Amino acid sequence: MEILVCVKQVPDMESKFNIDTSGTWYDETDLAYRMNEYDEFAVEQAVLVKEKLRGDTSVADTSVTVLSIGPERVKDVIKKALSMGCDRGVHIKDEQYQARDPMENASIIASFAKDKGFDLIFTGLQSQDRGSAQTGIIVARVLEMRCVTTVVGFELENDVITAKRELDGGLKAGFRTRTPAVITCQMGLNKPRYPTLPNIIKAKKKELTTIEADTMATAERMVETDALFHPEKKGAGLVLEGEINDQADKLISILREKTGVIK
Amino acid sequence: MKFTREIYWNVGADVLAPMYFIALLSTLALIYGFYARSKVYRRGKPLYRFDDIATRIAGALVKTLGQVKVIGGGAPGLAHGIFFWSFILLFCGTTLVFVQADITDPLFGYRFLKGGFYKLFSLTLDIAGLAAIIMMLGLFARRYIVRPKGLESAFDDLFIHALFFAILVTGFIVEGLRMAATEIGQNMELAYFSPVGLMTGLMFTGLEKETIESFHKLMWWIHFAFSTLFIASIPYTKLRHMFTTSFNYVLEDRRPKGSLETQDLEDESAETFGAAKAGELSWKDIFDTDACTRCKRCQDVCPAYSTGKPLSPMKLIERIGDTAFGDIEGSITTSVGKDAIWACTMCRACQDTCPASIEHVAKVLEMRRSMALMEGEFPGDEVVTAMDNIEVNANPFGLAPAARGDWADGLDNVGSLKELDKTDIVYFAGCYASYDQRNKKVATSLMKIFKAAGISVGILGAQEKCCGDPARRIGNEYLYQQMAGENIDAIKSYDPHTVVTSCPHCYNTLEKDYRDLGFDVKVEHYTVFLDRLVKDKKLEILAEEFDVTYHDSCFLGRYNGVYNQPRELIKAAGGRIVEMRRAMENSFCCGAGGGRILAEEKLGTRINIARATMAAETGAGSLVSNCPFCLTMFEDGVKTAELEEKLTPKDIAEIIADRL
Repeated sequence: MEILVCVKQVPDMESKFNIDTSGTWYDETDLAYRMNEYDEFAVEQAVLVKEKLRGDTSVADTSVTVLSIGPERVKDVIKKALSMGCDRGVHIKDEQYQARDPMENASIIASFAKDKGFDLIFTGLQSQDRGSAQTGIIVARVLEMRCVTTVVGFELENDVITAKRELDGGLKAGFRTRTPAVITCQMGLNKPRYPTLPNIIKAKKKELTTIEADTMATAERMVETDALFHPEKKGAGLVLEGEINDQADKLISILREKTGVIK
Repeated sequence: MKFTREIYWNVGADVLAPMYFIALLSTLALIYGFYARSKVYRRGKPLYRFDDIATRIAGALVKTLGQVKVIGGGAPGLAHGIFFWSFILLFCGTTLVFVQADITDPLFGYRFLKGGFYKLFSLTLDIAGLAAIIMMLGLFARRYIVRPKGLESAFDDLFIHALFFAILVTGFIVEGLRMAATEIGQNMELAYFSPVGLMTGLMFTGLEKETIESFHKLMWWIHFAFSTLFIASIPYTKLRHMFTTSFNYVLEDRRPKGSLETQDLEDESAETFGAAKAGELSWKDIFDTDACTRCKRCQDVCPAYSTGKPLSPMKLIERIGDTAFGDIEGSITTSVGKDAIWACTMCRACQDTCPASIEHVAKVLEMRRSMALMEGEFPGDEVVTAMDNIEVNANPFGLAPAARGDWADGLDNVGSLKELDKTDIVYFAGCYASYDQRNKKVATSLMKIFKAAGISVGILGAQEKCCGDPARRIGNEYLYQQMAGENIDAIKSYDPHTVVTSCPHCYNTLEKDYRDLGFDVKVEHYTVFLDRLVKDKKLEILAEEFDVTYHDSCFLGRYNGVYNQPRELIKAAGGRIVEMRRAMENSFCCGAGGGRILAEEKLGTRINIARATMAAETGAGSLVSNCPFCLTMFEDGVKTAELEEKLTPKDIAEIIADRL
């Protein structure tokens, strides 16, 4: 079985974000980068599938390829995925990553994947930086694969996938489909493992291929970033201090003045 | 009147052959026993502990003969010491008998056990034997009647007590019988020099000479049988500690206190990291388990044990030993228990109090390394998150690395090293002083003090990373070395004269752990640095009296022996120190060491509450420490225990900054 996992490197969300000079992206100096949180669930799930199929003689060896698009630094997240148990890495070297829309990214992934016969493609539900939640779905469409999104439960039996999706209000829906399929992963699907040292050492020797994005067929950009801005500052939270009676008095006066709760 | 006695009186020289044959057999049993055990020791990993061997042996002799580490433990330790010294005297006495009877007399016709020397010999051995009996009675009463909490008795203990009683009592009976026949009523002047023998002998004076002689022969053989049983049983029972504990003093770790083994993580031939199986520990770790006498002193001082966690340092050693001698390939992480391994705060109280020089902390660390590096396992999800945060953001909170130096914004004597020329010192702030609101106050207080002393301070800002202590001590050596390497490069690039830390964990890590990685810059904890400034009259503190209790953090106190300078500073600020019942070397951990600062404390009661309660018992209004972890734990402990009105946790720097 062939599995592809698509991961993205994103800035840590606690970083100090400043808008860069172009006004359409954030300034990248002093940022700390990590693997997109949802992609960690994707990697873990791919490795779990591989581990489950290991020893099952009815299927050929399972191999997990991890792919990431971006500048040189994204190799760090590929290495992390390799140390979590993926078998080989593919780095699509792309310096235009800041401007790419989901259509372009999906078409890059699809053009890599189209003749590789992947049975399963795992992606995160969305990226933490752009958050469009479309890339996985478009990949499925372009490759004409089945797709289940926002997955929080995943079982594979031969080529039958039983998945759970998260719906609004904590509801969950059960789905059944077949491979080949694209699965976009949501928090709650699994607990990503902490890479062991032997696996970190092994990962250093695993195959990591770099392909220039320019050499790949890409679809035309459909969404252009217009501007990036910080959310407008609204009223901050208020902490009442002092004696308990004073605090109660203050609360009453605030409720009276600013709300209609007390008349 | 002759002052001597006939050696082998009544039993005759005929006993020599069978006696020495049996003695030989028991000696062979002794040698074989240790040989068999040494096979297990040698299954451990190599470790060289024989450098500077003369000093090692000299130290071991002093510790063994002086019972230095044993008698400090209160009455039972003193009883052991007195018993030991009595035993040594009795052993010397027997040796002298052997030398005269089997060497000097038959070969040269020379006898020295006579006259005044014989009187002294008799009296000394009698008193030693009596003292040994009294000590054994006391120790027996403690173990089987008083039964202190946590003291566990096995078959070995009963066997040893019974055997020693039997040897000592039969010895006096044999002496008494001999004296009844040869001294009492005939040579009373000499008999008085064997007072215990005289008392026993008086019980037999009414008997017929023949009865005494045959009874004496019987008792002589019984006494001899017990003595040979004693020799033969040494390696097979806890008695082995006579050799193993003494020898463990030779094997002590002579590196700076608290040094840890820096693992070569690039070693591609290494298949495992840390120790999951007994055989993955060093041979000295396995030997340690044989040196343990289960005196429980470690357990008595353990903060984890005393707050109901599943960790007892004594049982940890015992279980590693049981596993090693049962199946060297057996899992020690299973036999010790993962919860026990994670519960350790590495406060080092166990190791420092151990009279057998057993190294507990390194074993915990090796087991943690195995769990963290080989299994990717940690005590909880919150620790995994912290590891991830340290990896990505270089601090356990997951806060922006770029904001690391923001705490110093607006302080005019502090600046980023990137922008400054040489400063007087480099301040390695550490994660807590950089990001934690409460500890930022400590950092700014410290900077205020430096300013008053006219000292310019450079900080690494965003270039500074977590020192790696919590990661390393929770077992993640890989992450530690990553952080350490980056810090070392950053600090060395500015070639500073002195690095000052406010966190004892940073201090210990930079001062000791980094040395293995090529770090050679002088490092000081701020209390030592400020104490010198005060002594050199470069810092003036306006004393203002207040009552205070002082908490010795483990990594400044036990690990680095800094007890006085912080106290001097507090006194210079006008503090009247009321010591807690556990202070100085005997201080009680706040609960945050050994990487526990990252973990939730889910088992037993809270260590920080136990310590805050001890502090409140002193009646002093403030609890002062020198460590951001301690301060964090106490702020929490004081609130949780609802002691806010009685106790205010503070750092020494804050006390001084208020009095400039």
